[in-house]
Amino acid sequence: MSQAASLASRGRARAGPDGTRHRRRLNRVPPLIWAFLLVPLVFEVAWVFWPALNSFYISLTKWNGAGDPRYIGLRNFQMLAADPIFIQALVNNVIWVIGFGGASVVIGMCLALALNKPRKGVGLYRSAIYLPMVFSLAVTGLFWRLLYQPDGAVNTFLGAIGLEGIERQWLADPSTALYAVLIAAVWRQCGYIMVLYLAGLKGVDPALEEAAAVDGANAWQRFWQIVMPQLRGVNSVVFAITVIDSLRTFDIVWAMTRGGPYNSTQLLSTYMYQTSFTVVNLGYGSAIAVVIFLFAILFIIGYLARSGKED
Amino acid sequence: MSVSPHLTRRGFVLGTIGLSTAAILSGCATKGTETKGDATNGGGTPAAAAITLQSSLSDPLPKKALESIVAAYPGDVTLNTVAIEQFRAQLSTYLTSQNPPDVLTWYAGSVARDYAKNGYLLDISDLWVEKGPAASYSTALKELSTSDDGKQVFMPTNYYWWGVFYLRSSFKKWGVSEPKTWEEFIALCDTLKSKGVNPLSNGVGTTPWMASGWFDILNLRVNGAAFHRELLTGKHSFDSPEVRKVMDYYTQIVPYFDPNMTAYAWQDAVTPLVQGKNAMYLVGAFISQNITEGDPDDLDFFSVPVIDQSIPVAEEAPTDGYFASAKTKNVESTKAFLGYLASAEAQQKFIEAAGSSNLPTSPDVDVSKFSPLVQKGLKTLADADQITQFFNRDSSDALQTTADAALTKFLAKPQEVDSILKEWQAAAQRVFNS
Repeated sequence: MSQAASLASRGRARAGPDGTRHRRRLNRVPPLIWAFLLVPLVFEVAWVFWPALNSFYISLTKWNGAGDPRYIGLRNFQMLAADPIFIQALVNNVIWVIGFGGASVVIGMCLALALNKPRKGVGLYRSAIYLPMVFSLAVTGLFWRLLYQPDGAVNTFLGAIGLEGIERQWLADPSTALYAVLIAAVWRQCGYIMVLYLAGLKGVDPALEEAAAVDGANAWQRFWQIVMPQLRGVNSVVFAITVIDSLRTFDIVWAMTRGGPYNSTQLLSTYMYQTSFTVVNLGYGSAIAVVIFLFAILFIIGYLARSGKED
Repeated sequence: MSVSPHLTRRGFVLGTIGLSTAAILSGCATKGTETKGDATNGGGTPAAAAITLQSSLSDPLPKKALESIVAAYPGDVTLNTVAIEQFRAQLSTYLTSQNPPDVLTWYAGSVARDYAKNGYLLDISDLWVEKGPAASYSTALKELSTSDDGKQVFMPTNYYWWGVFYLRSSFKKWGVSEPKTWEEFIALCDTLKSKGVNPLSNGVGTTPWMASGWFDILNLRVNGAAFHRELLTGKHSFDSPEVRKVMDYYTQIVPYFDPNMTAYAWQDAVTPLVQGKNAMYLVGAFISQNITEGDPDDLDFFSVPVIDQSIPVAEEAPTDGYFASAKTKNVESTKAFLGYLASAEAQQKFIEAAGSSNLPTSPDVDVSKFSPLVQKGLKTLADADQITQFFNRDSSDALQTTADAALTKFLAKPQEVDSILKEWQAAAQRVFNS
């Protein structure tokens, strides 16, 4: 759908203000292309947009899936505002966006810079670091759960190097659980970010960097003044991916902690799932979904507006 | 940007997973109900048309047991097995779809009663009277299967008990025996702890509802079944002095739990019990499914000792069974099949094959061949004055999530019990108000 929209808008931009030329251009689109555009659109509308619109309505009702939803206005949202678990989930989500986004971008970029220059065996490192990305998040979660077990690899390692004092039940201790899950998620994500930056660094003109070096710029200055500005395009892609990935994080938290212990790792998505599908309070769950949607759309609009300006 | 369409859609999907999967799944769930199978009448069972059985029994042994029972039924029945979490989420969709599964596995208790109130469940009262297959069931079971308007809407086929399970060989090794009073129980825990054994096993990590097991039984012992039921339906408050007293007893046993319980699921907590690192485990009889090695008769249990003599003895015995959709197109076949599931032969066959130490609801099942453990379970429940289900079954899944948060927090920070109970009451109030 948004592909179609962007195509249409591009068409409009090229056609300019002259309406007749615009119409002629549309007529010239072969019927087959229309079919390719319309068939997916029908599916998208029927399976994505229509249910999405419905969930806006459901968020204004009380409904347990059986019988007719009962309209209660904005009461679900009022209850959300007073719901300590929702507030906790919101705070956790902010920590998550910052922690997950910040850590995976910084680590991913460092890895990309370190592995950018062709060297012997560099391909092996790159693939090894990218490897976690090929596992599903649920598998990653199970794998890390084993590592975090009371007598799992993490605690065994800490014991072996004489750090028994900081051994703990990483996933069961509310003060560490969220960060323990965060580390697992970052472990998987930074390989992905690395690949994006590696691609970006390929587009960086080495001559500029050499010229700057000749002019006496040190490595730090060369990175910030020469390389970074050329990575602007990649940066905005990484920003969008990171923000949206962190808002939709669900699988890894569900696989590792299910939002526990006592809601300390609850994110908006897991709380939405729990309310909707364990408790089967679909009205309240939809209200949470609407909040997630608003956050996502806020970031997407911000991002589109920014990238539109840059073009 | 090639990513943005995908991600936009993802945002939408998050908000709409419910409806789209519901539509897809109800489509799958109801497939086959329209085909009219050619009816084979065997053993006088009127099996006129094909029906669908939607099952949440996805553990390997119970699944296989149900499959074999369905296969042995002379009528035409399609069995769909769905993982329990999905089943729970989809249950109301199943019941309200245009073409619902005819028979569904589920629990007796508040959920079934709620559905009956909305008119989604088939009235099967005629199976409970005169020569009906459930006519000889106990009055307690009948009461449990009755909706608010006095009709029977549920067919209980098996139930299980909760008890403090232990291995006889381990108790022998440590030279200890079953406690008879609460004081003896605490003394036993002290003895075991001094031997370097964790007295109590538990798994409240990914199965935080296990923390409700102790809460339920202590409330039954301290305040009795009537108070417990009223508390769970919102007639008393979780920060009342009565509940505070229950938590005093709970606080007494907190130091005896395996410190790893917060990292375990209930299944994980069986391993240290079998290894002799942990001594006792308050859990449902389904634990026997997870003890596959060694002598099966090594597993034994006792019920939590009486605390207040004046309180009638109550035990927890969650009851499983089947209900039927009110919209079924084949009322006769559906009832005939429910009658078959309720029969002594089907129950006996299921319990033997499922390996779960479940108890039959039919009094006609010959229990003499069942293991001594099951016989003891039967006796425990027969001696009990009152039977409750389990926290979520006596209340709701929504209230269970409040108990999970409150009780796991209490196990981590027992000294904060007062503020935890206040939070719990506030959360419970939100559930009752919603």
